[in-house]
Amino acid sequence: MEYHHVSAKNGVADENQNAEKLSHIEKAYTTILSELGEDVKREGLLRTPLRAAKAMQFLTKGYKETIQDILNDAIFDENHEEMVIVKDIDLFSLCEHHLVPFFGKAHIAYLPNKKVVGLSKLARIVEIYSRRLQVQERLTKQIASAIAEALEPAGVAVVIEAVHMCMVMRGVQKMNASTVTSVMLGSFNDNAETRKEFLALTMQK
Amino acid sequence: MDHSKQTQYSQNEKKDAGASSSVLNGHFDGMAKRPAGGTGRAATAAAAQPPGAESSSHRPAASVMESWREERTRSVEDNEMSLPSLAAAYTTILRGLGEDPQRQGLLKTPWRAATAMQFFTKGYQEKIIDVLNDAIFDEDHDEMVIVKDIDMFSMCEHHLVPIFGRVHIGYLPNKRVLGLSKLARIVEIYSRRLQVQERLTKQIAVAITEALQPTGVGVVIEATHMCMVMRGVQKMNSKTVTSTMLGVFREDPKTRDEFLTLIRS
Repeated sequence: MEYHHVSAKNGVADENQNAEKLSHIEKAYTTILSELGEDVKREGLLRTPLRAAKAMQFLTKGYKETIQDILNDAIFDENHEEMVIVKDIDLFSLCEHHLVPFFGKAHIAYLPNKKVVGLSKLARIVEIYSRRLQVQERLTKQIASAIAEALEPAGVAVVIEAVHMCMVMRGVQKMNASTVTSVMLGSFNDNAETRKEFLALTMQK
Repeated sequence: MDHSKQTQYSQNEKKDAGASSSVLNGHFDGMAKRPAGGTGRAATAAAAQPPGAESSSHRPAASVMESWREERTRSVEDNEMSLPSLAAAYTTILRGLGEDPQRQGLLKTPWRAATAMQFFTKGYQEKIIDVLNDAIFDEDHDEMVIVKDIDMFSMCEHHLVPIFGRVHIGYLPNKRVLGLSKLARIVEIYSRRLQVQERLTKQIAVAITEALQPTGVGVVIEATHMCMVMRGVQKMNSKTVTSTMLGVFREDPKTRDEFLTLIRS
């Protein structure tokens, strides 16, 4: 993975801080396990606090990454003004209300205005914002805004369909419900035909 | 078919004397009849087991038993007492991740996450005996009974991340049948815990065996592990399949084949 930790640039001091934070999270998980009534000494759980802490850090690694780091060198001047779509981008995030995963697919489209972006960078933008404690509405908007600011295109559209484990595993327990959110900017917002073309190309299975 | 019963279900209760810390993980040296209410392990946590409860025979902490052999219970009061410490732990986690626990979206998250986690481990509060006692019926039926596509949600005990999938259960009754939803309830009790898929499969099979003494039991679980999908190797489409075949399902390939074919269709 080539993302740059902003914190990594500051050297040893931050590494110590990270190690300290990791051990706080690890202790918190040990408390959680024992409060749930489990036996923290049994073989399967011995290193679980550390693993869970690292897993949680991985699942929220988006906080440390910035758009500038990943995009700066992958914007190209192209004389292309037709729709560019990257669809079915697998997305995994954490619900900020229950700390339980939600996952699904993101479909992104933009109408370039003389500037195109490396295609994988669209997926990397999704990664940066999804690997955080999120709300699906905000996630969709953040992705759209990031692309709009970086490229200044004629239009941006982002659709996310996701399944929320907090609804499936607990609470209402609806196995098959999925949530769809979308943000349309620029000509995707103003022009119904453009929007229809995007939706036809992405949402039809 | 009686000989197969004896090889599988040796009634050797002495083995379960707490000196069995060397039991191989998952080795079924079965007890056909568990003591009523199951056996409890000395809980190291704050959970106070009421002294009179038949479910908690305190064992010295030195004997670490395989958890699939135990039936521990927690009460609603235990859960309520744990909630503040759980919430405090989650607040620490939020801060450790660099988030601001005071922002609007996260204000009550520690409590929500704590309650959610307690829900995901509510299987520890339930005992098979409670769920099954009145739903075993005498029926002169000796053909295979299958309940398939039971949605299952569990938590990986190594990363505390969800596992979800489907369970397929089949059994060959031996004069006794079980209310069908009870099979799904057995799945719920064992899956709502911190689990390892292999152990979960075995626990379900063993519970049905002990309750009904059927001629055979087969359990197949196909699940997706978020710890493999969301992190680590990040393989989106991988599925893990585990199975436990007991009794005639293990001995007779034709029975096993019939079961596997029927759950596939």
